[in-house]
Amino acid sequence: MSNSHDEHAQHEHMDIPRYIGIFLVLVVGTILTYVTSQWDLDHYFAGANTLLALIIAFAKMSCVVLFFMHVWWNSKLIWLTAVAGFCWMAIMFAFTMQDYFTRGNGVFNK
Amino acid sequence: MATHNNDDYHQPGLQHQFDTMEQQQDSVSIGMWMFLVQEIMFFGGLFTVYLLYRWKFPMAFAAGSNHLDAFLGGLNTLVLIVSSLTMALTVYYAQKGNRNMQVILIVLTMIFGTVFLGVKAVEYTDKYNHGYIPFADWNKKTRGAADHKNVKHDSATEHKSDGKEVEHEYKSATGVFEWKDTKLAEKAQKEGFLTEWEKIGYFSDSSSIPIAERKIDPTKFESKVRIFFWIYFIMTGLHAIHMIVGLGMMAWLLWKAWFNTYSAEYFAPVEMAGLYWHFVDIVWIFLFPLLYLLGRHFLAGGGH
Repeated sequence: MSNSHDEHAQHEHMDIPRYIGIFLVLVVGTILTYVTSQWDLDHYFAGANTLLALIIAFAKMSCVVLFFMHVWWNSKLIWLTAVAGFCWMAIMFAFTMQDYFTRGNGVFNK
Repeated sequence: MATHNNDDYHQPGLQHQFDTMEQQQDSVSIGMWMFLVQEIMFFGGLFTVYLLYRWKFPMAFAAGSNHLDAFLGGLNTLVLIVSSLTMALTVYYAQKGNRNMQVILIVLTMIFGTVFLGVKAVEYTDKYNHGYIPFADWNKKTRGAADHKNVKHDSATEHKSDGKEVEHEYKSATGVFEWKDTKLAEKAQKEGFLTEWEKIGYFSDSSSIPIAERKIDPTKFESKVRIFFWIYFIMTGLHAIHMIVGLGMMAWLLWKAWFNTYSAEYFAPVEMAGLYWHFVDIVWIFLFPLLYLLGRHFLAGGGH
């Protein structure tokens, strides 16, 4: 691989203050998830609470993947692999749910 | 790393099938990531089940979720995040070849991992005592009530207006799953936001009666809450198994780090174990809001 920079880059880009910084972002995200779950956001539209919780969870996941797991400085092949994993899962969700959404509920004369 | 591509020098960690440390590093990384992608699909199947049944029966899921202890779940989230930090720092010090810091941080990571499993055990015990284990007859049984097939007292957790949970005595001779609190389903019925599946799944009376006048069947609602607890136990249980495997890896890393195996030239095992540990943390980052927090706004007096 031509990415001889990655090991060096980890030394250069992540030091202890930065690790602590990412850690604090994750802690704040956790507290934010907990607090916002008490608010009645579904008052605005159905599923708003869940949507916000998932947005925070995705942000936290991104912090862990990019910085704790060093993907930010990894080769493009690792980027591709990580992103592909989530694409496959999205395909699984989408195709399963489109089946159930269009299947009917088994009760006639409704 | 000045020793790169120097044919006269053989790096101590270089396996014979690789030409350079970089090639080895890339191969190891891509292998580990391929494994993690398969893990994503592994948990993804369970998340799909969650998505499907929550879409069908959101109020049963909210009712089950509201029994879970969000404080303990949140505490465990923080514990795992701290353990992710200590793991990341372990990799950092392994790269520097700092043996003492590696040992300290691996031990800390193991302690936090064990605390996580301990809190999980407390939560599982609570479910056992309340009769919320979905497996048939795996719950706490009451002695002396064997003559009664099912001595049902109110086992459901009630929520006072201040959000505090009031526990009820669980009395079952058979240890079967019990759930009697149908308040959230009634609320959805009254305010008119039952899903089409809930209109079928929560009632057993005639469908020709208008939905607002029908009576919720507690046993039918119970069976839907039971689906939630199935998903809760399978997902958190699988996650806990991953934690135990991770602790095994940490024990092995501790052994290797103790004898000062890792250095700037060779730290791939630490880094790969770290990737696994962080992955398990990420799974929990999603499990926490999806299992523990999904119905919290109803406790706070929320509506739809």
